Amino acid sequence: MQIEDRKEGSKRIKLVIHSNLEDVSLIGTAINTLCSSIPLSDTDSYQIELCVVEAVNNSIEHAYGNEKGHEVEVVFTLYPDRLIVDVCDTGKPMDQECMEQKDVSPLEIDPNDLDNIAEQGRGLPIIKAIMDSMTYKTESGKNCLTLTRNI
Amino acid sequence: MQVEDKKEGDVLVVKVLNKRLDAQAANDFKEKMTGYINNGSPLIVLNMSDVDFVDSSGLGAMVSVLKLFGGDGQLAICGTTERVARMFKLTRMNKVFSMFEGESEAIEALSK
Repeated sequence: MQIEDRKEGSKRIKLVIHSNLEDVSLIGTAINTLCSSIPLSDTDSYQIELCVVEAVNNSIEHAYGNEKGHEVEVVFTLYPDRLIVDVCDTGKPMDQECMEQKDVSPLEIDPNDLDNIAEQGRGLPIIKAIMDSMTYKTESGKNCLTLTRNI
Repeated sequence: MQVEDKKEGDVLVVKVLNKRLDAQAANDFKEKMTGYINNGSPLIVLNMSDVDFVDSSGLGAMVSVLKLFGGDGQLAICGTTERVARMFKLTRMNKVFSMFEGESEAIEALSK
């Protein structure tokens, strides 16, 4: 872990893991504990943990193609009225159309049509349903998904 | 993926012992459940009372398993914690899976 320079009114911590799905639970547990200490409710802490885990999974599986030997960086910044989590990688950038889907309709399903219920692709819709905002930026080879939740 | 299983009449009860059903555990979970189905267990209760975290990969693995049952088998879920139940509701998976609070309730439903 590394403590970044303190910006006025904020507290920040950076976590870094290798691009290994086995290590993602470390991030999840850390995020849950950080949220609980604010304090956020058990439900809110879990939901934010879930969003961060989904974002980290996407970095490992899609940006890095499940290739080991890379890093995923998670920066948790706490302001008095919101928390912001940046999940960053240096892999293949996400397709813009993944971000452009404006709603959570991938979560709408016909429970009677099992064959057409997707087994993948719920990560970003889950994040959109839980967080207050989600933005994505690529700069100098670094891709960051920024999740914001008002508290 | 650690599980324990027991037979209750015609129903196989599989309890997931891992605390997290996530991207790392998803493939193992699918393999284990596929093994049970291929060994001729058409009625399975999945006890998730020890699981306190499920992500979309875990959910996807569960959907994949459900699809394996085909027309003759049934899968019932029991014991989901409140946080996991909320995740099922958020993703509408509570409409896809038969969900029960207790193991005996789930066993009874499949035994009918």
